[in-house]
Amino acid sequence: MRSNLYHNTTAQWIVYVVFFALMAFVPIVIDDTFTTNLFARFLVLGMLALSVSLVWGFGGILSLGQGIAFGLAAYGMGMTMQMQSQDPESSPIPSFMLTNELTKLPLLWEPFWHTPTGIVLALLVPTVFFLIFGAMMFQARVAGVFVAIVTLAMLSAWYSMAFDMQPYTAGFNGISPPSPLKLGEHIVDPYSNEAYWIALGMLTLATLGLKLLLQSKFGLIVQAVREDPERARFLGYSVSGYQIAVFTVSGFVAALAGVLWVMIVQYVSPTSLEVTFSVSMVIWAAVGGRMSLLGAILGAFFVNGIQSYLGDEMLYGFLLVLGGLFILIVRFLPSGLAGLLESLLERLVRRPADQRGQ
Amino acid sequence: MSVNHFWTAFAFEPFMNALLIGLSVASVWLIAALGLAIVYGTMGVINMAHGEFVMLGAYSAFVLETVVGVPFLLCVPAAFVIVGLIGAAIERGLVRHLYKRPLDTLLATWGLSLVLIQGVRLILGPEPKNLQSPAWLNASLRVWVFELSWFRVFIFGVTIAAFVLTWWLLHRTRLGLMVRAVMQNKEMAAVHGIDAGKVFTLTFAYGAGLAGLAGSMFGAIKNVFPDMGSGYIVEAFLVVVVGGVGSLLGSLFSSIGLGEIYSVFAYFTNGTFAKFWLFLLVVIFLRFRPQGLFADAMARR
Repeated sequence: MRSNLYHNTTAQWIVYVVFFALMAFVPIVIDDTFTTNLFARFLVLGMLALSVSLVWGFGGILSLGQGIAFGLAAYGMGMTMQMQSQDPESSPIPSFMLTNELTKLPLLWEPFWHTPTGIVLALLVPTVFFLIFGAMMFQARVAGVFVAIVTLAMLSAWYSMAFDMQPYTAGFNGISPPSPLKLGEHIVDPYSNEAYWIALGMLTLATLGLKLLLQSKFGLIVQAVREDPERARFLGYSVSGYQIAVFTVSGFVAALAGVLWVMIVQYVSPTSLEVTFSVSMVIWAAVGGRMSLLGAILGAFFVNGIQSYLGDEMLYGFLLVLGGLFILIVRFLPSGLAGLLESLLERLVRRPADQRGQ
Repeated sequence: MSVNHFWTAFAFEPFMNALLIGLSVASVWLIAALGLAIVYGTMGVINMAHGEFVMLGAYSAFVLETVVGVPFLLCVPAAFVIVGLIGAAIERGLVRHLYKRPLDTLLATWGLSLVLIQGVRLILGPEPKNLQSPAWLNASLRVWVFELSWFRVFIFGVTIAAFVLTWWLLHRTRLGLMVRAVMQNKEMAAVHGIDAGKVFTLTFAYGAGLAGLAGSMFGAIKNVFPDMGSGYIVEAFLVVVVGGVGSLLGSLFSSIGLGEIYSVFAYFTNGTFAKFWLFLLVVIFLRFRPQGLFADAMARR
C-alpha cells in the first residue's frame, strides 16, 4: 500500500529546504534594488501568514488579532530606529513631539535610546502581551468565534490608541525614521540584498523551527486540541495550556515580522493595526492552505504578488476579486491550494491501488 | 489632542448631557446589533458583512431619495425591505452552505463584505454621498438641562419600536415560536414539521433588513460612503457578545451599559481613548463571564 507523498515527512523537509535555498538566489537573479525590497516585504508578509497558519491551521484558534503583535513590534522597532537619529545633546526628542507640545522625551520612549534594548523590547512586549491575553481568554474557555471577536476588539482598541496618542506615536502620520537601521557601525540598507537575506534567514528559521515543533509530541497534542478540545481535556491534557502556548508563539512570530517590516520599509503607522490588515493575513493563509506552513507562506506571496503586479489603480478591482476568491476558497476549497495539492497527490496513489483491488 | 488639556473636569450640565448622549449611542449600537444578535442567536452564524448591510441600507435610501424622489421617512422602511431581500438571496446563495462550519461563515461573510464594499465603490463611486432628512429632524430639542437633536430622538424611537417588534415577533407569534424551536434544537424542530431552511432564510433576511433600516438612518446623521459599515461592526459584535448570545434583553442592557461607559469615558477624556478603555473592559468582562450578561436564556443546541 503506497501512501500519499504529501504526508511523507522526508519529502516535506526536502521541499522546504529546497524552497528556502532557491529563495536565497532571488536577489542575485533579479538584480534590481526596488524589486529586491519588494520581495523582502513579501517574505515578511509570508511570516505573518506563517503565524496565522500556526495559530489557526494547527491550533484551531481563529485569531483576528495577529496585527496586534505585528503592530506593537513595528512601533517598537520604529521607535528604536527613530532614536538612532536623535542625539541626547543637540536633538533629544523627535520633531513630531515638538509639534505636539512635548518638551521632554516621554518615559515610554526612554529605553529606545539603546538599540539592542529597543529591539528586545519590540519582540518581548508583544509576546508577553499575547501570553497574558491568551491566558485571559483560554483559561476562561473562550473558544471558536468568540476568540475571533475578542481579538478583533483588542485589535481595534490598540488601533485607536496608536491613532489617538499623537504626541507619543505621531498619530495618523506614523513614525518614519530618517535613516536606516544601524547595528553598531554597520548600516542595514533596506534596498540591499543583505536586508533581503536577513528577512529570508529569519523566515527560514521561523518556518523550520515551527515545523520541528509541530512534528514533536507538543505539535501533535496541539492538533488534538484543535480537533476535539473536550476529548483532549478528558485525556488529561491542559487544553488552555497548549492554546496559550500556541497563541504566544504565533504572537512572537508576528512580532518578529513587525521588527523586520520596519527594518525594510523604514516606516510604521496605525495601518499596521488596522482590522483589514489582520484579516488579510487570514486570507493569505486560507488561500495557500492554513494546514501547511509553506502553503500559507506561498499564499501570502501569491496574493501580494498579484496585488503589486496589478498596481494601485486596479486596487479596488483587486479587492473585489480578492473578496470573491476568498468566498470561493472558503466555500469549495477550505484547505486552500495546499489542500488541492494534497488531493491531487492522493488521487495519484489511489488509482493504481483501486485497480489492484479489482 | 494636546496632553495639557487631556482631562475634562466635571461639570453638572455637560455631564448630564454626556449621560444622555450615552443613551443615544446605545440606541445606535443596539439597532446596529439587533439583526446580528438574532442571526447569531438563531443560526450560530457570525455575519461579518452585517456592517455592509448597514451600508447597503444607507445607499438604498440615498438612491431612492435622489433618483426616485421618495421622501426620507419612507426611505427608512424601504431600506428594510430592500436589504432584507438582498439578505435572503445571500443566505440562499452562500451562508446556507456553511452552517456546519461557523468559523468559515465568519470568513466567507468577510469576503462578502469586501465584495460589497468594492462593488458599491466601483458602481456608485468612492466619494461620500449626502442623504437629506427633513428640516424638522435637524432641529434641536431642549428639556431642562438636556439638549438633543430631533434626529437622535427619532433614532431612539425607531430603535425601541424595532426592539419591541422583534420581541413580539419572537415571543408572541407562531413564526417566532418556530424560530425559537429551531434555535433550541434544529433536528427536533424539523421532526415536528418545521422547515428549518425556511426559518433560517427568514431570520437572516430579517436581520439584514434591520441593518438596512439602521443604515438608512446612520446615512442621514453622517454621510453615505462605501466602508461606513466597518465603523459599526466591532461595537455591534461587542453588544451581542456582552449581552449573551440569543438574549434580546441582554443586547438591550449591554448596549445601554456600553453606550454609557463609552460616553462617560469620552466626556472625561476623548472619543478614541474611551473606545480603547471600552474594548479593554469588554475583554476583561468576558474573561469572568464568557457567556455574557444573560447567559443562555434560550440555549442553542
